[in-house]
Amino acid sequence: MRIRFIRFFLFLCLLTGITYAQNLFGGKSRVEAGLIAEEISVQPGKAFWLAISLQMEEGWHTYWRNPGDSGLETKIQWELPDGFTAGKIQWPAPEIIREEHLVTYGYHGMIYLLVQLTPPAELQTNQPVLVKARVSWLECADICVPGETNVSLSLPVKAETPELHPAYMETFATARTKLPLVSEEWQFQASIENNTIIIYAQPPDWMKSEIEKAVFFPYTTGLIKYAEEQEFSLSGNGYRLVVPLKEKAVTPDTLAGILFSESGWRGPESEKAIEVVIEPKENIVITGSGDALTSIWMAILFSFLGGIILNLMPCVLPVLSIKIMGIINQAHDNSARPWQHGWIFTLGVLVSFWVLAGILLILKAGGAHLGWGFQLQSPVFLILLSVFMFLFALSMFGVFEIGTSLTTVGGRTNGKHGFWGSFISGITATIVATPCTAPFMGSALGFALIQPVWISMIIFTFLGLGMAAPFVLISSIPALLKFIPKPGRWMESLKQFMGFLLAATVVWLLWVLGIQSGATLVTIVLFNLLFTALAAWIYGRWGHLAMPKKNRITAVSLALVILALSNGLTYANIDNFNQAPKDMHPQDDGIQWKTFTQQEVDLLVKDGKPVFIDCTAAWCLSCQVNEEVAFSSSEVQQAFKDLNIHAFKADWTSQDESITKALARFNRNSVPLYVLYKGNPDKEPVILPELITPGIIMDALKSIER
Amino acid sequence: MKVNLSLIILVITTGFIIAGSTAQIGEKAPDFNLTDSNGKQHSLSDYKGKYVVLEWVNFGCPFVQKHYNSKNMQTLQKEYRDKGVVWLSISSSASGKQGYLSAAEINETLKEKSSQPNAYLIDEDGTVGKLYDAKATPHMYIIDPDGNLIYNGAIDNIRSTNVEDVAKAHNYVSKTLDALLTGEKVEPFSTEAYGCSVKYK
Repeated sequence: MRIRFIRFFLFLCLLTGITYAQNLFGGKSRVEAGLIAEEISVQPGKAFWLAISLQMEEGWHTYWRNPGDSGLETKIQWELPDGFTAGKIQWPAPEIIREEHLVTYGYHGMIYLLVQLTPPAELQTNQPVLVKARVSWLECADICVPGETNVSLSLPVKAETPELHPAYMETFATARTKLPLVSEEWQFQASIENNTIIIYAQPPDWMKSEIEKAVFFPYTTGLIKYAEEQEFSLSGNGYRLVVPLKEKAVTPDTLAGILFSESGWRGPESEKAIEVVIEPKENIVITGSGDALTSIWMAILFSFLGGIILNLMPCVLPVLSIKIMGIINQAHDNSARPWQHGWIFTLGVLVSFWVLAGILLILKAGGAHLGWGFQLQSPVFLILLSVFMFLFALSMFGVFEIGTSLTTVGGRTNGKHGFWGSFISGITATIVATPCTAPFMGSALGFALIQPVWISMIIFTFLGLGMAAPFVLISSIPALLKFIPKPGRWMESLKQFMGFLLAATVVWLLWVLGIQSGATLVTIVLFNLLFTALAAWIYGRWGHLAMPKKNRITAVSLALVILALSNGLTYANIDNFNQAPKDMHPQDDGIQWKTFTQQEVDLLVKDGKPVFIDCTAAWCLSCQVNEEVAFSSSEVQQAFKDLNIHAFKADWTSQDESITKALARFNRNSVPLYVLYKGNPDKEPVILPELITPGIIMDALKSIER
Repeated sequence: MKVNLSLIILVITTGFIIAGSTAQIGEKAPDFNLTDSNGKQHSLSDYKGKYVVLEWVNFGCPFVQKHYNSKNMQTLQKEYRDKGVVWLSISSSASGKQGYLSAAEINETLKEKSSQPNAYLIDEDGTVGKLYDAKATPHMYIIDPDGNLIYNGAIDNIRSTNVEDVAKAHNYVSKTLDALLTGEKVEPFSTEAYGCSVKYK
């Protein structure tokens, strides 16, 4: 009886492990390690759990798998009987240990590191097995001391299903609650932006409680700035966490770590950590009402600002200034209420924006692949617009006056006719603004167009409101007019100067046309402009009211005939002379650009070749700037050569169905778009930002697998 | 936020330049002035035209001991000093904390360990440590003759206190210096330093 008792006692001792803790300097360690098993016996072939316990003296800590700014992870080296395999350490969620401006991840008190062992199926049942492990760690208070211990445990092998060790049931259960939750129900996404990783977490539907604050601990070292604040916020129905990256950190293809929150990831009192394993994307679109709302506010703000800025564009400034001159005239007349004109002008702008957006949306709904800037893809529209702008410029120069004066585009504001005039100027302003919106706001409006209809309309509305804002402001607050000099000669000079801005717009339109349709058509259009100018001159010289009626009629008719003939002939001949130049971008930027075809790209991507696609257009100003800045860098050119990247240029200057479709594949309908396939057919391509620099390209190229 | 990108560019035509005053990789390494264990003043600018290694040290730290007990650090110091590199050991341990030694104790310890840096600089208040964002001991920096920070990080790639790992590890400092000294172009880079935390005030 006594012997059996002693044997049982010894057995228990073995079961709780034997520790020979000592630190490497011979002194007594402040950390005591132990080894326990969850079950009282081992069954051949059936995996079972062990726990390495670490009991730390007060004030001392050991480290997590990623120790952070300093420290060292605890290691377990197993010495197992033949055929046994050990799983990875299941790390409990660590705590943040702050020391000055350094942050480490570790543990105080008592922890259990769970490890699963799998015995071989052919294990003999007649003798116990001895499991040994060498546990090494770094124990730190304000100083650090490495520690090491050998622990071992003897376990009987039995054929029957093992029973849980009664003494450790609770220990294992508690230890498991401290492990990070592994859940399919939480959805995680991550994107890398501006040297941060942004993690989006979407809770499962049933999750009612809120996560108050969360912090990300990465498994890998050298990735994030541990000591920096991670910005946590609500995002739609989920959460958003901005994690600052180290400078020049190499971001892994898979981001793994845990999110830690006191709130519990399955409600209060549940697991405080959840495991996150995500492939970060360069660009992700997050859905969810809250987020959409915040981005709508941003969109509204920026479309309003954009609208205001439009007034400074060479196309719009002349219209606005004429309109303001009208107000000045009228303010000094003191005869009407200028603010009414302000609002009517606004209405004119809004109506034309709505019509424009409406047409676009209807065409899109009808299946047409269009994006903003589409107006400039049509030679007819380009020619019409350049004639219109040119005539406008001529009238500014004083070659002729539209109507009796500038009633339609600004001048008089008396009576009903004046209100109608304000409305028309609103429309005119929008029309003349179109060539300017495309280069400067192509991508912004492109974004607007892929949103739900009501969002598109809101964005267009605020763009219009922004455009009308300065005028409304000036017309509503007469006090402002005091700062403007009295009408006089300066107004005429200003008006003439504005004419040059319009002329510049014409030059630009013709340049775009030249790229689309070649030099011959541009020459024809220039002739058309010459005759248009002639007609305008005749009209201006002999067609005004001061002339005798007969002269006037002759002049007007002659002007109209010339205008009609010249324009008619031009439009009739567009197709005959429309020769799209073969190589639209004769660029000598040292990169071998090929013309984009989807088939060729698909084939190369499938072969695992790196491919770069540049979707561009002549009328897209940011595209031009990007090309000038980014692709002219010799470093970029060399990298393209060295990495053997197949470069494709998709030129959207003219309407091109295949490019529109290619853009749609990336949820875009505007240029610029830069896509990099990294040479791995299984991986999603990377979308570069709309404004690129050599640095951005080089960074993107770095990740290419050679 | 695709909407605002082009608009933001419109609105903000002048970009922001975030100019940190602390050491940035690939940028000019900040200058400093410290007194060594012999009472001599040293500035980084004194060594313009030479490669400079900064080694954050704390002899009480087991990670530092790993590299000194294995003679790894001393060998590196000697080898590169012979090749014209300036080696500065810096201690940012505050008075009363681990690794803080008086000037006499320093010289005694250096002798005992046969450590021969060009100088052992005392950064008792941690100013220079924080300027360089030194996190651990050892934490290594390499500065080129033009004063640019070429490397910031760990001494090697095996995080441990085990002396046996020294021989197996890839030593970032020696590999980088070898490349630099043979005239190879080295893209400035950083790794995560490992070791004990610097014992700041």
